Amino acid sequence: MNDFLSTYGFLIVSMLFGSMLGISLYLPLMAGQLSLASPGFYAVGGYIAAILSTKVFVTTGTFPIPLLLLEMAIAGIVCGILGILVGVPALRLRGIYLAIATIAFIEIIRIISLNLEITGGAVGIFGIPQPFNSPIEYLWIALPLLLLSMAFVYRLENIRVGRALVAIREDELAADAMGINPTYYKVLAFTLGAILAGVVGAVSAHFLNTWNARQGTFDASIVYLTFVLIGGSRSFLGAVLGGMVFTAMPELLRFAADTPNLPLFIAQFLRDGRLMIFGLLIVLGTIFFPQGLVPAGLLKRSTQREQKSTK
Amino acid sequence: MTSAWFRWVLSIGFPVLLTACGTSNNAPSRGENASSTGGAIPIGIAVAQTSNVALLGQEQVAGAKLAEKYFNDRGGVNGTPIKLILQDTAGDEQGAINAFQTLINRDKVVGIVGPTLSQQAFSADPIADRAKVPVLGPSNTAKGIPEIGDFVGRVSAPVAIVAPNAVKAALKINPQIKKVAVFFAQNDAFSKSETEIFQQTVQEQKLELATVQKFQTTDTDFQSQATAGINAKPDLVIVSGLAADGGNLIRQLRELGYKGLIIGGNGLNTSNLFPVCKKLCDGILIAQAYNPAQPNLLNKAFRDAYMAQYQKEPPQFSAQAFTGVQVFVEALTALSKATPTTKVNAQPIGDLRVGLNKQLLAGKYSTPLGEISFTPIGEIVQKDFYVAQIKMDADGTNGKFTFLK
Amino acid sequence: MDGKPRSVGDLSGDRIKSMTVFLQNLLGGLSIGSVYAIFALGYTLVFSILGIINFAHGAIFTLGAYFTYALMGGKFGFNGLLANFSLGIQLPFWLAAILAAILAGGVAVAIERLAYRPLRRKQSDPLLMVVSSLGVALVLVNLIQYLVGAENYTFPGNTYGDLPSAINFGSAKNPIVIRTVQIIIFVISGMILAGLTYFITGTKYGKAIRAVAEDPTTASLLGIDTERFIMLSFFVSGFLGSIAGTLVGSSFGIAGPYFGIGFGLKGLAVIVLGGLGSIPGSVIGGLLIGMVESFVPDSGYKDAVAFAILFIILLVRPQGILGQKLIQKV
Repeated sequence: MNDFLSTYGFLIVSMLFGSMLGISLYLPLMAGQLSLASPGFYAVGGYIAAILSTKVFVTTGTFPIPLLLLEMAIAGIVCGILGILVGVPALRLRGIYLAIATIAFIEIIRIISLNLEITGGAVGIFGIPQPFNSPIEYLWIALPLLLLSMAFVYRLENIRVGRALVAIREDELAADAMGINPTYYKVLAFTLGAILAGVVGAVSAHFLNTWNARQGTFDASIVYLTFVLIGGSRSFLGAVLGGMVFTAMPELLRFAADTPNLPLFIAQFLRDGRLMIFGLLIVLGTIFFPQGLVPAGLLKRSTQREQKSTK
Repeated sequence: MTSAWFRWVLSIGFPVLLTACGTSNNAPSRGENASSTGGAIPIGIAVAQTSNVALLGQEQVAGAKLAEKYFNDRGGVNGTPIKLILQDTAGDEQGAINAFQTLINRDKVVGIVGPTLSQQAFSADPIADRAKVPVLGPSNTAKGIPEIGDFVGRVSAPVAIVAPNAVKAALKINPQIKKVAVFFAQNDAFSKSETEIFQQTVQEQKLELATVQKFQTTDTDFQSQATAGINAKPDLVIVSGLAADGGNLIRQLRELGYKGLIIGGNGLNTSNLFPVCKKLCDGILIAQAYNPAQPNLLNKAFRDAYMAQYQKEPPQFSAQAFTGVQVFVEALTALSKATPTTKVNAQPIGDLRVGLNKQLLAGKYSTPLGEISFTPIGEIVQKDFYVAQIKMDADGTNGKFTFLK
Repeated sequence: MDGKPRSVGDLSGDRIKSMTVFLQNLLGGLSIGSVYAIFALGYTLVFSILGIINFAHGAIFTLGAYFTYALMGGKFGFNGLLANFSLGIQLPFWLAAILAAILAGGVAVAIERLAYRPLRRKQSDPLLMVVSSLGVALVLVNLIQYLVGAENYTFPGNTYGDLPSAINFGSAKNPIVIRTVQIIIFVISGMILAGLTYFITGTKYGKAIRAVAEDPTTASLLGIDTERFIMLSFFVSGFLGSIAGTLVGSSFGIAGPYFGIGFGLKGLAVIVLGGLGSIPGSVIGGLLIGMVESFVPDSGYKDAVAFAILFIILLVRPQGILGQKLIQKV
């Protein structure tokens, strides 16, 4: 058990982070807005924590947890403000236009962090102090954070705000006619996602020991989108499950490749072809799980409508 | 609805099942000492075998495998063979940490050669250091790597030492050099560290830094940077990048009419450069941490083995990975000589790792890189650095690095 | 950041110099932009018919370059399953490029049938098709790596014959030097763009594609076999992606399996800038981004400026420069 925890401790915590990043992309999607901006906020949150802990809150030995929480709060606030600044103009766009505008946002953040001195260019920031002795202990932060965000989204879905978001997703014009202000709610959902991504980024900077411009990229947004869409885009549980399964997938394949007595060519294929298999699973997933792994009605009371067909 | 539920259960069940099977299969191999590989001593290789860094990782795997064969053919560690365990880090930080964790806790390796990128090292090396597992970076050249911890060292010379030699060599060839144009790949940690040293050297040599141009390793066109560089009328161009982008930049500079000397950084120290700029590679000065013509015995053996298998000169990345494995093997051998009564891999893995780290830092090694040893913090002390000039064949398909002394 | 300012000469000399730089950047930008345009047209065709962004297009770009390399008699390196493999035939560049484009077109059609058609049949959320296309890209890129490794390749032999490597359009004193390969690329791209425009507007196939793009239901009522034209447009899209890959390959070489990914991202900026689904828009978008990139003074921000312009254009004119007004479904 001990061996298992020390081998997979990092992975287990990564899976929880994956879930939260999935939720951060799911939030705007609740209102039908496809935003791929999460990695940008994740990157900004990470830089905030990395800079604060290596330049401002310089400590020796174990990094104090209260300071970590403070960093998370600062990252959340900054990303929230940035979220509003980007969200207000960007959310006038719809569908794929919004997606591409958010990709542009990520690229801009990436290039700026490559060029600034304070972010360390391509080398990034390293030697970030550790609040814990081993990766698995990050569960003390990651687990409550995940439960909290799950509870928050669950609650959100069942109050007026959540219903407004769903109404916008189903038909924005009708929602507008009913007196729901679409812009307000869309920006709200987008900003909540930005805050969550920023907070996760702040913890991740410590968790990864280092932070650089490769953390928030277009590739990452694709991965998060996969979490949500294959996990199930009609329930936050889909994002949570998708985040876990797809974070673990490459490691599961690594594990499978190490199974003793496996014919050499299969082991070799599982090793070198891991990403190919990953891609294939995504393709098959869209065909066989069009609603995602978690269908819409799973947590809802039976009175609510059955999975309404999209579009 | 039922079918949806069924699928849901299935999709959850599948990974769990996979994990369960794997765990039970692996259970017997979890010994307390390092004998889990049928008596051979496990050494971990954690480099990028997939992703867009794989070009470098592939070369490292080739070098490490040659070392495994070479030393096992000569009796391994006092009769006990070594066994390389490869775990792919892919190109990212998460992958590097996962590979390290697997090597340390499941594969129970005595030490790790890896990872490929400095950014990955900043992420994964602290994990190994806390687990007290010796790590040798085969290609991590950024500032601050050995400082990560007691168990972290490297066999890749930091850029600060290699780069200035090339500028001095250029001044020797052409003492009239006044203006210098510097180019670097801004999204590559290696190039970014290296260019800082180059720019500092340029200033120390009282040369004028006429322009600094940036590009990305993913760029496919350098017209604007090359034009801006040439318009600054430099007498010397310094390029820090990797083979594909750096080689193309040089090719475009030459095609656009630049005639002066060109210095390539250590990232261009590979025969992968030749197909990129062909005849136009001719005359590039390269700062090298490895030269295939290094005359010592081990390099001869390494070079011959590499040439026999791949029909070309071995690249620096392969030589450094070979050296990493060699250092582990020789340190283990020294360790087992010190305690002749017990087999080296019979002692508890924790003690063995600590002992190995201590021994490793104390030793002197005659490697394909020349004579090397380590400072107490694990920085490489390398005697021989080279500046080579590329000479291409008349038809531009093949070339070689010729020494400058 | 950008080093020391250049030495200040006399004014008239400076003016000539800046004019030279301007012309050089203009011509360079046009050449790069024309490849962006060809590449982006592949996106545009598929978007106009299915309303999705086919992210596998960047991988087709890469695949096309590899096909050309193999058909020209290139040999693969020692990594991967096909170590030291070569086809044993040595076609001239132009023939290899065309055959490669046909092959890549075939691959694009196969992808459509295997991955996207099942989704269309089920009338799934179009977003799923976007995700699926990302999965396809991942498979293609890693398949290439699995088969032929991550090495760099340069097309064997003299791709464009014995032309000088660069041409000077200025005088000896004030040179305006452009690489020959860029001029060739620009000319070829221009011919392809002209040909494609004729195909779309002048032939009945092209008209049918446009009819399907505008309204699939009506088109099928009119007796147009919708499926056939979806396949045709995927074929043309793959063909164009491959040509773009081959052209960049002829100037730059093939930089491993991830070669096309950066292009894929840039292509997105191009089509949105020009207006999604608009063919002339893609051309203008391509040329515009090519030029903007060559005129950015600090090379470090080259890519950021292209995306920043995209961001601003989207906010000011969400439908792009030449895009049609967004139709809202009520």
